[in-house]
Amino acid sequence: MQELDLHSSRARLARLGKAIGKSGYIGLLLAAGSCVVVGGGLAFAHYSIGYSLMGLGLLLLMPALWWQYELSNVPVQSGSLMNRLSNDCLVLLNPKTSYSPQTLLKALEPNWQALLLGNHLLLPLDRIGHLVSDDPTQLGAVLQQAAQIADSYHSTSIEAGHIVVAILHSSPAVTGLLTKLKLNQTDVDAVGGWLERNLAAIRRKPTNFGGIGRDWASGFTPHLTQFGHNLSTAIERNGAHFGALVDSPGVADIKTAFSQGAAAIALIGPDGIGKTSHAYALAQNVLAEAQDPTLAHKQIVALEATAITAAANRPGELEYVLTSLLNEAVHAGNIMLFFDDAQLFFQTGPGSINAAQILLPAVQSRAIPLIFAMSPHDYEQLRATNMALAGLLTPVVLKEEPEAEVLETLTDNASRLELRHHLIISYEAIKAAYRLSGRYETDMAYPGKAIRLLEQAMAHADHKVITAASVEAAIEQTKGVKAGIAAPVEADQLLHLEDAIHERMINQKRAVEVVANALRRARAGVSSPNRPIGSFLFLGPTGVGKTELAKAIAATYFGDESNMIRLDMSEYQQQTDVSRILSDGKEESNSLLLSVRQQPFSVVLLDEVEKAHPNILNLLLQLLDEGQLTDSQGRKVSFKDCVIIATSNAGADSIREHIEKGEELEAFESQFTDQLINSGQFKPELLNRFDEIVLFRPLKPDELAQVVRLMLAGVNKTLAAQNISVGLTDAAIAKIVSVGNDPRLGARPMRRALQRAVENTVAGKILRGEAKPGDHLELDEPDLSL
Amino acid sequence: MLQYEVIMVILGLFSWWYGRGWAGVLKSTQHRLASLGEMFSIKILLNTLFAPWRRIITYPGAGLDARLRALGDNLVSRCVGFTVRFFVLLAAGVAFLCMIAVGILELVVWPLTPLLAAALIVKGLL
Repeated sequence: MQELDLHSSRARLARLGKAIGKSGYIGLLLAAGSCVVVGGGLAFAHYSIGYSLMGLGLLLLMPALWWQYELSNVPVQSGSLMNRLSNDCLVLLNPKTSYSPQTLLKALEPNWQALLLGNHLLLPLDRIGHLVSDDPTQLGAVLQQAAQIADSYHSTSIEAGHIVVAILHSSPAVTGLLTKLKLNQTDVDAVGGWLERNLAAIRRKPTNFGGIGRDWASGFTPHLTQFGHNLSTAIERNGAHFGALVDSPGVADIKTAFSQGAAAIALIGPDGIGKTSHAYALAQNVLAEAQDPTLAHKQIVALEATAITAAANRPGELEYVLTSLLNEAVHAGNIMLFFDDAQLFFQTGPGSINAAQILLPAVQSRAIPLIFAMSPHDYEQLRATNMALAGLLTPVVLKEEPEAEVLETLTDNASRLELRHHLIISYEAIKAAYRLSGRYETDMAYPGKAIRLLEQAMAHADHKVITAASVEAAIEQTKGVKAGIAAPVEADQLLHLEDAIHERMINQKRAVEVVANALRRARAGVSSPNRPIGSFLFLGPTGVGKTELAKAIAATYFGDESNMIRLDMSEYQQQTDVSRILSDGKEESNSLLLSVRQQPFSVVLLDEVEKAHPNILNLLLQLLDEGQLTDSQGRKVSFKDCVIIATSNAGADSIREHIEKGEELEAFESQFTDQLINSGQFKPELLNRFDEIVLFRPLKPDELAQVVRLMLAGVNKTLAAQNISVGLTDAAIAKIVSVGNDPRLGARPMRRALQRAVENTVAGKILRGEAKPGDHLELDEPDLSL
Repeated sequence: MLQYEVIMVILGLFSWWYGRGWAGVLKSTQHRLASLGEMFSIKILLNTLFAPWRRIITYPGAGLDARLRALGDNLVSRCVGFTVRFFVLLAAGVAFLCMIAVGILELVVWPLTPLLAAALIVKGLL
């Protein structure tokens, strides 16, 4: 078992270095300098004491140099644990103390690595000491584990961070606390790895990129300087900081392709995958390249179509500019051209250049390495429209990395944001950014979408700390979804959702209950996150509240009735209508996918679903199964935050017959569903995909009376602006019900009856001056103009 | 106890001075020489000693005139390139020599410093 030997020579030297400190070092230097200068002066004036002063100055210089080169950071040595313990740890430990894991954690608290670990885990290390063992005999095991952690990172030194991670691992009570914080020991390791990468960045020595004579054999590039962006120069100026990406498979593939004689490369990947970052990483890699003569000291210049089009004002100027840029790059001899958003160079339209005919000879001649970055869709389009050019490009496909690698990239980017904006980004925020961007940012790929979400979360930082709540707030603001835990007020609303819905809906208790349960499951995070919040098939006669319930959900759960996307499926009866459904919105302004993309947190109401073309119903199967559809551009649109409600009048007469026989809905639900399948109105696979099939029963006369009262409340809401209110006697209500009740149309005719009976009467009274502001009109049966 | 600590510190200082400290001077000189080589791009300058200066040459044309002009321009450009590189290499050589001289001086003076200090103190007191 290894113990802390704080009387070792390294420990003594580290403490001596701390005792001298930087101020002591400066004092020694000043004293030495003064002695030498004054002594020299005295010696020159023939005062022999001057020699002694000069000698003293040299003696003082010796400890100053000792501090500078050794004591300020006593170097680690290989071998025993004490030899490997970093200077930062040694200076914090007292040789008179017998350390346990608890006291060691306390001693290391002020160290920056411990602070950073605590901040990233949102663990206040000063307050968790009591959760850690105070038994000195446990220390050996902890230090042993710290050494193993250091070994796993190929670190010669054992740093404070390694010890803190080992201490956190050693305590079951800390594991319990982490669970409460929705973290686990794997996350502690991940944060340890994050710290290690920060340490590596600090230790990294400045890279030499070739010195002053590097570009003397290359040509001048005034046009490229004007229109392009030199990624290599940017890296030289701002420092090489593309970390693991520099040696990533993507960069290696590009280098290999060029080494094997590729004319040009199509760097293919969806938005957010990091095509531009790969270009920067390649630039950094190539700057340090000395072996491969085809790449050594090449500079990557990025060209943007918009900048070039903006500069060309006269006809033909565009072609001239692009040709001279290519010629200049070829002539310079040390340039690789990177075309970001390369599709803009092959298209016609605003901000685009159809430069395929200019670029083709450049690619064919292999005179200059070219990289075209584009999405898979744009690459396919290029292959379809210009096979001659596409065939010359060597495709390098960038794919999304596994979760662990994406989280590493996110933490590296988080460090950059922390430095730039002076804030702390917790690891739970990084995990939340990964999780929530994965769910809500379907237009982009990792890691770009998660990085963008983290950047958006900065605006929601609490006391300069970004937590999971900040990320949730950011996604709620940008996407209009509910991502965080329900606040007490909202939780109360959810628990009483039925009451809220019944304020605007009469009866249909079973329908309201199943819908409310689904919404509660989704909001509590119990239901599957990979399917819509809820999917329901509402069956029943017309005018019984199917659409009203959909509106009520939009209003009570999604905040507003306008959060409802409504499609009349009887308008989608042709096979060709499939493309209308899947349109990305360019040709079909009323596209379902465009609406959901713009408003992902909505009720999607599919009226008269049984009338849609079978191919559209097949799409519905996919939607209900996977919670997403793919539009005509190949982009996925998520329905995972939607409530899908399909309505149908199929079997309405059968429902009415059962109810008239006095049967309860639940009693014949199953039989009714079989009936719908047997009659061929619905396929079983579709019915099985819905969370619930909800039957709506016809309304009874007393329920219709309640509907009239609800509608009257609506009329009074309108009249409130004129400070006039209107009431109906029971007799008047009964009369309206008797006139408006049509068993085939449900409550729907009631609206017209109320219009005729009440609104016409009130309008007449207002116009005749019989109703003035402040009046309440109580209408009886004879008053109604029916 | 304090005397023991002071003696240990002094022993530590001298042990470092004639051990890792002295070795560090050598390493530091080596490092500075390597950095100097990189800064002056010695390898690149030697590899491209006769290359044209920033490629200021005309393209070989189809006609004899153009070819002759290109040949002339090329020769001039290469002369300019050679001259600049030659003088930079010369400057680098001088810098190298200075750096080596300083390094040797440091290596020699370093072990003598304590003796020199003692000698100066004694000389002043006598």
